[in-house]
Amino acid sequence: MGSAAIRTDGLSKSYGSVAALRDLDLEVAEGEVVGYLGPNGAGKTTTIRLLLGLARPSAGRAEIFGLDCQRQAVQAHRRLAYVAGEASLWPSLTGAQTLHLLGRVQGRVDAAYRDELIERFDLDPAKKVRAYSKGNRQKLILIGALMARPDLLILDEPTSGLDPLMEQAFRHCIQEAREHKQTVFLSSHILSEVEALCDRVGILRGGVLVEMGTLAQMRHLSALTVEATFDGSVPDLSRVPGVSSVEVTGRVVRCQVHGTVEPLLKVLAAAGVHELLSREPSLEELFLAHYGASSETQGAPAHAR
Amino acid sequence: MHADLAVAAPARAGRYPAAVVALRTARRAVRSGALWGYVFGLTVASSALGYVAAYKTLAQRARFAALFGSNGGLAAINGPAREIQTVAGYTVWKSFMFLIVLGAVWGLLTGTRLLRGEEEAGRWELLLAGQTTRRRAAGQALAGLGAGLAALWALTAVIIVVVGRSSKVGIAAGPALFFAVALVASAAVFLAAGAFTSQLAATRRQAAGYAGAALGACYALRLVADSGTGLQWLRWTTPLGWVEELQPLTSPRPLALAPIAGLVVVLAGLSVYLAGQRDVGASILPDRASAVGHTRLLSGPVGLTVRLVRPAVLSWWAAIGAWSLLLGFIAKQGGSMLTTSSSVQQAVSRLGARGAGTLQYLGVTFLMVAWLVAFVAVTQVTAARSEEAEGRLDHLLVRPVSRSSWLAGKVAVATAILVASGLLAGLLTWLGAASQNAGAGLASLLSAGINVVPPAVCILGIGVLTIGVWPRATSVVTYGVLAWSFLIELLAGFFSSNHWLLDTSVFHHMAAAPAVNPDWTSAAVLVAVGTVAAVAGGVAFGRRDLAGE
Repeated sequence: MGSAAIRTDGLSKSYGSVAALRDLDLEVAEGEVVGYLGPNGAGKTTTIRLLLGLARPSAGRAEIFGLDCQRQAVQAHRRLAYVAGEASLWPSLTGAQTLHLLGRVQGRVDAAYRDELIERFDLDPAKKVRAYSKGNRQKLILIGALMARPDLLILDEPTSGLDPLMEQAFRHCIQEAREHKQTVFLSSHILSEVEALCDRVGILRGGVLVEMGTLAQMRHLSALTVEATFDGSVPDLSRVPGVSSVEVTGRVVRCQVHGTVEPLLKVLAAAGVHELLSREPSLEELFLAHYGASSETQGAPAHAR
Repeated sequence: MHADLAVAAPARAGRYPAAVVALRTARRAVRSGALWGYVFGLTVASSALGYVAAYKTLAQRARFAALFGSNGGLAAINGPAREIQTVAGYTVWKSFMFLIVLGAVWGLLTGTRLLRGEEEAGRWELLLAGQTTRRRAAGQALAGLGAGLAALWALTAVIIVVVGRSSKVGIAAGPALFFAVALVASAAVFLAAGAFTSQLAATRRQAAGYAGAALGACYALRLVADSGTGLQWLRWTTPLGWVEELQPLTSPRPLALAPIAGLVVVLAGLSVYLAGQRDVGASILPDRASAVGHTRLLSGPVGLTVRLVRPAVLSWWAAIGAWSLLLGFIAKQGGSMLTTSSSVQQAVSRLGARGAGTLQYLGVTFLMVAWLVAFVAVTQVTAARSEEAEGRLDHLLVRPVSRSSWLAGKVAVATAILVASGLLAGLLTWLGAASQNAGAGLASLLSAGINVVPPAVCILGIGVLTIGVWPRATSVVTYGVLAWSFLIELLAGFFSSNHWLLDTSVFHHMAAAPAVNPDWTSAAVLVAVGTVAAVAGGVAFGRRDLAGE
């Protein structure tokens, strides 16, 4: 092994005076499934286009399996497949013709797997591309990428336009890819998808990678949500160390706790708590913690490992 | 980048919510109409000014008219000669037929592009989700096309009026305005025809194909009617004949506008009606949505290119072939009068041809073949660019395909198409000429066919360079070079002393074969310029970001 599936080093891209991506250091190990999250315009697609050699970096460099993404693009592309979120294909070709073409250009196809995917995604390959709905075009591109069983799958919002059933089929395919030790780099803004599939998650914001880690690691970054119901009067929790966002609804208090919960538990016990709920934040809440408070100044870039 | 379109429409809708389709269509139609208005105006101007410069005395003009006026071969191409001893008559005879055919082509391409093309790209769905109905949207799009037509007319009219004020030309403003109306009448008919076939067919290409076939039929009828075989009445069976019957500048007959206007109204009305009868994205004629997929050519980027350009190239070849056959067919008759008089010899040699009879005539008319083949080169360049602009190229380049090999494949296919186009022109001209025992050799006509390829290769190279360094301007630059070169050729008579200007036309470096022997040295220079430009474009393309629309 030795080389990572993806490695970037100070990768940056500016369009005129706008910095679309700043100083990205990223490493994805072989066999990993990594999620890449961020709102529209955060630089997700820019990162992917740099990795694919479709755009040239303003600074820094990127490698795929140790091959330079710009100079050795053709060799690197033999080992990867890419799914774009916006499916623009040749309208006069049928689905079957498109898959044939993409397979021949890629140079490798698992024909049995391709047929299984066509079945699984319920695609009619005899239709012309222009007769397909957006969702069907997206399926075609997905099948075209998955059927090569590449060592690395780069997916840029791959499920846009898919219905929930097909979204399920997609997740199944990614699980299979994981079992086959394929590496997956999944850019998305569908949090549940990333949460369900990914070993590690990177969060991009304004062209800067602000967070990178496993979900377990990331959870420490966010507060625990605590909901308490009291028999009698509701105590004032706002001055308890580590507690924030206190909301009182009748006799129910909801708040966030950073760090240790001990001071809060003492206050609650003294006040006669009747019912206590606490849960870990979902990825959605982690995400909102990063993007929700837009007034907050941008976090320093977290150099990911 | 695609998002821009989606965002632009609602933004405008904010100001004029009811007219968003009309505004969008008008913006694009007016831009294109104005551009072609320049070409129309300058073509007319060059004909008029060229005549007054070449034939200064009444005696010269009378001699010219006597020789050219009764030539059936020329009438088949240019339409019947009326009063060609006058500036006005000559100007109509020289420019009218060419421009009304060009206007019809512009009309059908613009109409299908802005209706079916927009619908095929899915942009209509966005608009129709707004505050309009399908029928109203079609009506608005037609109004937008009308604005484009108005721009075409306005630019044409302004230039003709200005040139007409010259005392030597002497065309009054009223007749000049009517001439401009006549020039754009065929564009009006075929804009409406394009809107109509956009309802029938599911793809822009198919819609343009139907309208193009209709134009071909109209042209053929017109040709027979004008070739002096006693079938003049056929002129009333074709819209191009009605346009001819307007007889601008010589004996204007505004009454012939009635059937033209009637046809435009009927076609436009049918378009609006049919738009309401069908779903968005669907067509009135059944669409072959599924097919047994042949995969013969689909083994790589080059095969894909061949497959993608095949339908359009076959139509081009049909057009070039038919035109060449016709040229060959009438060459003997057209050339026979050239040998009779030394003054005509002089006149023709001004157009660049020497030698005798048939070959001399073909030497002049082959410029049109050269222009058609160069046009094919431009379409290949813009087709390559649209693969990139619309994101389809991504699917190839993220696989083991390098940018340079993709582009080189495109250039190789285009070059092969151009060479085949030239040979086809030569071969079919020979066939036409041989059927009349015109005595033109196959070898000299084939080499005349090859002779038209280098200017097209040069334009191809310039196009590739543009793709490399300024991709979003590809279409403007390549069409610009083509139109500029054509205008310079038309106006060559005035700048004969200004070689710097003449040299900017790719056609100027081409010998007038088969009237003279091809100048292979100049041809090699053209090919070399094209090659250097293409290589530079390839290098630049390899070093830039892929660019959307």
